[in-house]
Formats: sequence, C-alpha cells, structure tokens
Amino acid sequence: MKKKKISVGQVVNYILLLVLAFICLYPFLNVIAYSLSGYNAVLSGKVTFYPIDFTVSAYQQILGKTQIWNSMRTTVLVTLLGTGLSLILTIFASYGLSRNDLPGRKFLTGMILFTMYFGGGMIPTFLVVKGVGLYDTLGALFVPQAVNVFNFIVMRTFFRNLPESLEEAARIDGASYLQVLVKIVLPLSLPIIATIGLFYAVGYWNTYFDALLYIQDPDKYTLQLRLRSLLFGEELNNSGVNLEGLGTQVMTQSLKMATVAVSTVPILIVYPWLQKYFVKGVMVGSVKG
Amino acid sequence: MNKSNTRKKPNRTLVKMWNYKWIYLMLLPVMVYYIVFKYIPMYGITIAFKDYNVFKGVLESPWCGLEVFQKILGNKNFWEAIKNTLLLNVLTLLVSFPLTIIVSLMLNEVMSAKFKKVTQSILYLPHFISWVVVAGIATNLFSMQGGTVNHILNTLGIDSVPFLSDNAWWVFTYVICNVWKEIGWGTIIYLAALTGVDESLYEAAYLDGATKFQRLIYITLPSIKSVIVTMLILQISKMMTIGLDAPLLLGNKKVMGVSEVISTYTYRLGIERAKYSDSTAIGLFQSVINIIILFAADKFAKAIGEDGII
Repeated sequence: MKKKKISVGQVVNYILLLVLAFICLYPFLNVIAYSLSGYNAVLSGKVTFYPIDFTVSAYQQILGKTQIWNSMRTTVLVTLLGTGLSLILTIFASYGLSRNDLPGRKFLTGMILFTMYFGGGMIPTFLVVKGVGLYDTLGALFVPQAVNVFNFIVMRTFFRNLPESLEEAARIDGASYLQVLVKIVLPLSLPIIATIGLFYAVGYWNTYFDALLYIQDPDKYTLQLRLRSLLFGEELNNSGVNLEGLGTQVMTQSLKMATVAVSTVPILIVYPWLQKYFVKGVMVGSVKG
Repeated sequence: MNKSNTRKKPNRTLVKMWNYKWIYLMLLPVMVYYIVFKYIPMYGITIAFKDYNVFKGVLESPWCGLEVFQKILGNKNFWEAIKNTLLLNVLTLLVSFPLTIIVSLMLNEVMSAKFKKVTQSILYLPHFISWVVVAGIATNLFSMQGGTVNHILNTLGIDSVPFLSDNAWWVFTYVICNVWKEIGWGTIIYLAALTGVDESLYEAAYLDGATKFQRLIYITLPSIKSVIVTMLILQISKMMTIGLDAPLLLGNKKVMGVSEVISTYTYRLGIERAKYSDSTAIGLFQSVINIIILFAADKFAKAIGEDGII
C-alpha cells in the first residue's frame, strides 16, 4: 500500500523527464511550424510553436523540384543496394568466422578487427576509390564502407549462440554449408538480420560525407548532400562547389524547413521499428566477448 | 611412429580446409573488400613520406623522408586544429557524461512502464537524425536574424546572442547540439546495467530505513560503477577523434578559430586544396596518437581492476 503513494520526488522526476522529452521534440515542432508559415511571419522570426499564416506553398515548391525527387531516388537506391551488399558480406563474414575450428579463423578475424583501430585515412582511401573507378558513381557511396566491424561482431556473437545440433543434423543429411546457411541459419536469425539491416540502412540514409567526397555530378547528389547545399548554399559556394541552377539564393527559411521535413519523414515513419530493434542490437553488441 | 604423426597433422588441416571450401568461398569477397578498401589504403599512407605527384601516383612519387611531417608540425594551423579537437571533445564529455547518467537514473525511477517507454522513444529519436538536418535546424533556431531562440530572448528583454558567429557561443551551441542528439541514446547501456541491480538490496535498505537518496548513493551507483568506469575510459580513449559532420556543418567562416578540428582540417587540406601528402601525414599522426591513448586506457582499466576495452 505504502509503495503506491507517489512522493514529491517522483512528481519532480516525472516533470523533469517531460521537460527533457519536450526539448527533444521541440526542434521538430519548430521545423514543422516554419515550413507551414507564411513568408512575412517567417521573416519576422515570430514563429515558435505553431504555424502563422498557414500555407503549404513551401511544400508545393519543394515537391515540384525535380532535383529533390532525383536525390530522393538516388538515396533510396543507395540505401537499398548498400544495405543488401552490407548484409550479404556481413552474413558471410560472421557465418564463416563463427566456427571455432576453421583453419585460419584467427588470422582472418584479426585482419577484420585490426581495421577498427587503424586505417589508411581519408586521402589514401579516396585514392583507392578513384583508382578502382568508383569515383563519381553511386557505388562509391556504399562499396567502400560495406562492412561495419561492430555489426560483424554482433552478428558473429549471434551465430555462435545458435544450437550446433541443428546444423550438424543438416550436414549429416548431406546439405552443403550454403544450404545450411540459407535454409537453417538465416530463418533462425531474422531478428538480428533486421536489426543489422536497419543499422546499415539508417547509416546509408543519413551519411552525406561520402557523397561530398566522392560525388561531383549534381545529378547524382544524395538527399543529404542536396539538403546541405540547399541549407548552407552560400557556404558551399565559397568553398568552390558548383551550385549552378539550384537557385539557393532565393531559399526562404520555410522552404528550407520544408526540405528538412521532407527528408526526415522517411526516418520518422520507420522509427517505431527502428528503435525497438536498435536497442536490442546495442545490447547484444555491448555483451560481446 | 613419430614421423607418421607429423605427416598426418598437416594432412588433417588440409582435409578440414577442403571440407570448408564453401566457407572460404563465402569469406573470399569479404577479404577482397578488406584488402582493397582497408589494407591498400594503409599502404597508401606511404605518401605521407613522399612528395606526392598526381601524375606519378602513390608508387612512383619520390620519397622525401620526414619532410612532410616537419612542415606540418611547424604549422600553427595544425596545432590549432588539435587544440580545438580536444577542447570540443572535453567540453562535450564534461557535459554529456554526467548528464547521461543522471537521465538514466531518472528513467530508472519511473514506475509507470508506459510513461518510461514513451519517454525513452522520444529521447532516442534525435540519434537517428542526420547531422545535416540537425545543423539545419540549429541554424534556424539559433541564428541572429529571425532565429527562434533569439526571438524568445528578445521578447524577454534580452539582447540577441551570437550563438553561431561568436567563438565562445559557437562552442556552447556545438556542445548543446551534440548533447541533444546523443544523450537519450547514451542511456541505453546504463539502463541495461540498472535492470541488473539486485532488487533484494533495495528492499533490505528500505527496511533499514534508508532514504531514497541513500539507496541511490550506496546501492545503485556502486552497482553500475564498472559500467560507468568502462564508458568513461572508452570515451576518453576517443578524445583525439572527432566526427567531421558536426564541426563542418555547424561551423562557418566567422568561427573557424574554434570550429576547425583535425577532421575538417584534413578534409580541407586534402580534398579542397589537394595537398595529399600533408593531409595523409596528419591522418597518420592522429591514428598513432589514438592507438597510444587506446593502449594506455586499456592498461589503466585493467590496472584498476576493470575489464579492458580492447
């Protein structure tokens, strides 16, 4: 009975958490309010919580730009191809290296783990990407960073914990390793594959730096890169990136915020699933051996 | 007898390898990926010791010893970038580290499972937003002309604050954005540790008349101490590494004095000004320092009886 009584401390705690949650949400609210406000209201800076002089013209303008649709398509394509390739390579690596008696396992695993602590750095990687002919192609946006070591560790841990007897039975029945992987291991691993897949997908959706580094042709701009050039147009002009034909000078705040909203909506839609899986993924990763 | 044994052993390994041929075939593309995109670039580091010439390439460019390093170590901008990296990292850590633990403890005290779940979902959200978007929102909120925050300050009778164009205020804004983005996500590890605390300890303390605060100090914190220490060491070992996104996107010409960090400096030098050798040398310098810090941190963790971090 006594435990049910809510103390003052509890109330304060709840209120503080509500304030914190509000701080996390407010910027999004602000974006939406701006994107739906009239030109003059935005200029005066008095938009805070809700739209003033409600209008959807910013969205009409943004969605009427072919560049936005192009970039959206590029990003979707890169996210799909990238996630596919990343998953395949990560599954192969973790499945193969999850068996303790594989000759050479230590060496190969070591080769992968070493890259966590040491790497060639920006320019040598850039030169390799250029050298293999990926420069200014969409491939540059996912091939050079296809495998993430952290994800590899998480998945390998998962495969190791699968019951060995299942696989042995299938092997005795004459199934090849590839058959075992596809017919037995993968169906059992759907949760972890979803988790890792989402990790990769969000990463591909959100990165802009690889695009900044490797993409020259404005027609191949990803959504984040397009967004950057729209939001910080003048900055980019100064640093010499070609922005012709983008009309950045006339971008108003509401247009910018509408673009932000449009490029963030896909993340917000999948967010409820994301969160659940990601938390699990982080947990598995943190108890790695 | 002995002879046949030694001959048998490599045979057995070979047989095993033959049995695993399909596994090796699966590993092949992975290893090719690592060699091409991770190990060949490591060889490319040699251009830090070369006078790189675009037409001659990595292999043919002439060696020049430590000339590049001498040039870089004598450059004021380089040390400036290191100073800024450390400054931004240390300040972010000082704010975010204790705050993350406090928020975790607050969430842990919440009785209503529903309230906890919803709050957590909201707090994790910023982690999934790209830096381009965060920087865009921040510029909108904090700008001098028409920025929402300054508008609110003005209506309260306070003068506008140059959040994005004054060095000290920019550092403040940078830290705020980082904390906003990652604080909720950072609580996951602590919350996991907190669920592992033995319930009976609390009950015993409750029966002994310990106050809520006493229980927090004498039971909760000691129970998650090792997680706290490990996280702290892990974070400290990353002090020389800084993401490129935040400083590059939030920074501008006016605050270059504090926003130019190692990663942005490497980028500008290497990509914008095509000084490949210089940029690579800086990257190598940073990697080596990182490894030294990492090993030191690992040694330290083990010395104080915690798990290592490598």
